[in-house]
Amino acid sequence: MDGSTLGEHLEERGVTRRSFVEFCTEMAVILGLGSAAAPSVANALATQKRPTVIWLEMQECTGCVESVLRTEAPTIGDLVLDVVSLDYSDTLMAAAGHAAEKAKAESMAKNKGSYILIVTGSVPTKEDGIYCTLAGKTIRSHLEEAAEGAAAIIALGACAHWGSVQAARPNPTGAVGVRDIIKNKPIINIAGCPPIGDVVTATVVHFLTFGRLPSMDREGRPLFAYGNRIHDQCSRRAHFDAGQYVENFDDDNARRGWCLYQVGCKGPATYSPCPIVQWNQRTSWPIGAGHPCIGCTEPYFWDTMSPFYQRLPEVGGFGVEKRVDTIGASLAIGAAAGVAAHAGMTVLHQIRARKSSKQLPEHDAAAQEDSNNG
Amino acid sequence: MTTGTPRPPVRLPWFDVRLPRMRGDITWIYLWGAPLRVSHWLAALSLVVLFFTGLFISFPVWTSAGEASSHFLMARFRFTHFLAATVIVFAGIIRVYWLFAGNQFERWPALWPFTRRNVHHMFLMLKSYATLDPKIQPHFVGHNPLAQVAYTLIYLGTTVMMVTGFTMYGQANPGGFFYTLFTWVPGMLGGLQGVRVLHHTVAWLYPIFFSIHIYLAIRADYIERAGVVSSMLTGGRFVMSHEEFEDCDLGDHPSVPWHTGEHPTWVKPQ
Ligand code: SF4
Repeated sequence: MDGSTLGEHLEERGVTRRSFVEFCTEMAVILGLGSAAAPSVANALATQKRPTVIWLEMQECTGCVESVLRTEAPTIGDLVLDVVSLDYSDTLMAAAGHAAEKAKAESMAKNKGSYILIVTGSVPTKEDGIYCTLAGKTIRSHLEEAAEGAAAIIALGACAHWGSVQAARPNPTGAVGVRDIIKNKPIINIAGCPPIGDVVTATVVHFLTFGRLPSMDREGRPLFAYGNRIHDQCSRRAHFDAGQYVENFDDDNARRGWCLYQVGCKGPATYSPCPIVQWNQRTSWPIGAGHPCIGCTEPYFWDTMSPFYQRLPEVGGFGVEKRVDTIGASLAIGAAAGVAAHAGMTVLHQIRARKSSKQLPEHDAAAQEDSNNG
Repeated sequence: MTTGTPRPPVRLPWFDVRLPRMRGDITWIYLWGAPLRVSHWLAALSLVVLFFTGLFISFPVWTSAGEASSHFLMARFRFTHFLAATVIVFAGIIRVYWLFAGNQFERWPALWPFTRRNVHHMFLMLKSYATLDPKIQPHFVGHNPLAQVAYTLIYLGTTVMMVTGFTMYGQANPGGFFYTLFTWVPGMLGGLQGVRVLHHTVAWLYPIFFSIHIYLAIRADYIERAGVVSSMLTGGRFVMSHEEFEDCDLGDHPSVPWHTGEHPTWVKPQ
């Protein structure tokens, strides 16, 4: 089976041409190539050698693996067995312990320079990285070793992207993302906590079809998926523009499906394909289900997007945490009150000063005398 | 009432106008060029609009019932906000031009008045505001240095507002002009939420500045009686010929007849 092209391999496994083209169509659409590109994608894929994938799990919760298992098409069987040759994955492989490590070392040596490295989880950097170790070595050295011979790295999920929850303030383990450790390899960030599985599959398909990673935004996220804000693709947007907002989670407006802006939706600051690709075989997505977006595809969202049910973060250092708008409004009212008080005092002072002619400014006093004399 | 008794003269206090007999000693000088005044009022107008529409955008308090298709409330507020934003950018362009073409009080070096003498004057200004004593207040033809610092701060704040505002505006059209122009901004401020927080924070500068600015301008008019408030409309103010100023020497110069209104490049810096 090794060394066969993807097409041959699928044929062997009894996958019909029809379902393969269906899969290719779906991927072409997600990639933004349009369904017309499906035959080209199918051709490119069918003649490809099955790519070897090493999947490294670091400091993480395995939620990203879960999410990829929920990819609609291909299902887990298709992804792992049909499209890629997954040679190493803690969670999915049957082998364990020394056997697993040996399989990884062999595969890495054999496919040096050509395998895809998928990474989930962050790298702890404090105390020499002892907060996450595997087979007696720190996860950082595992990552560096595996990255050495990789053709490209897919940093899957917020942890691998920038560190996610363990990197939130105060970041006790010094967690960082893959891009902070590996500098000399092409890295693509599939952002999200977790990301949508279809996006991972589509990225792999893009890599196989074109031989390079898809074009990315400033965060290293694939543009085909993260090219637009949630807010600009949202099914509740008409309510936003109309000025119709949910004010409480149990109010009538929530029942009517109005916009979640007032209850803290971060859709206006978040780039993600959620509204279009959706989750769990296109069942729904957070905003569709009535929960405001928490902005999980944006870096440092645990710090910058929280509190999740308010529009703006709170500012510390005022005893009680306050929003900038509360502070600003108090200052503005304070300034107006100060102005009013000062104005009152100035008028009183001037009236008193002008009453006594001695206190008049010189020319005024002179004028006064003048007019009195005249 | 008996006849023959002399009647006391009627002197209603409100009509007892005491005019200083100083004809010829008062000179109207032309200070603020038309571009400066135009940009001032454009900015004032658009900032008021920007502040209140911005308030609504951040706290949309009026919700409209019924079908979404029959309302466009938030969209209209945002449109007005963006329209006012283009006006303030226009005002800003005029102001920047006048930073290079205006007189000594309007040019860019005036934006940074931190000389030793000026710092001392700022202190005196503060002291006179605190003690309500106008006599210790130094006199200036143009702005006093404390006011100038406030204006410079507002220019800075407005620049920040323009950059953060147009950064957020550009997000609706990724790859478009404003998006591309300001890609560096979210990175610098820790993401789009950081941009949003800064925009909200600086916005509160305006109501604070507005109340103090308007108050102090009116107060200066009330105390000095020099026509400072109307100078932003007419371009000029009155000075007494014997008045001494800290920021320039008018002494050697002939009085300018008040309606000729030559642009005061003739004002010699001290
Ligand atoms: S629910 Fe969120 S993303 Fe959707 S329109 Fe409202 S604010 Fe925008």
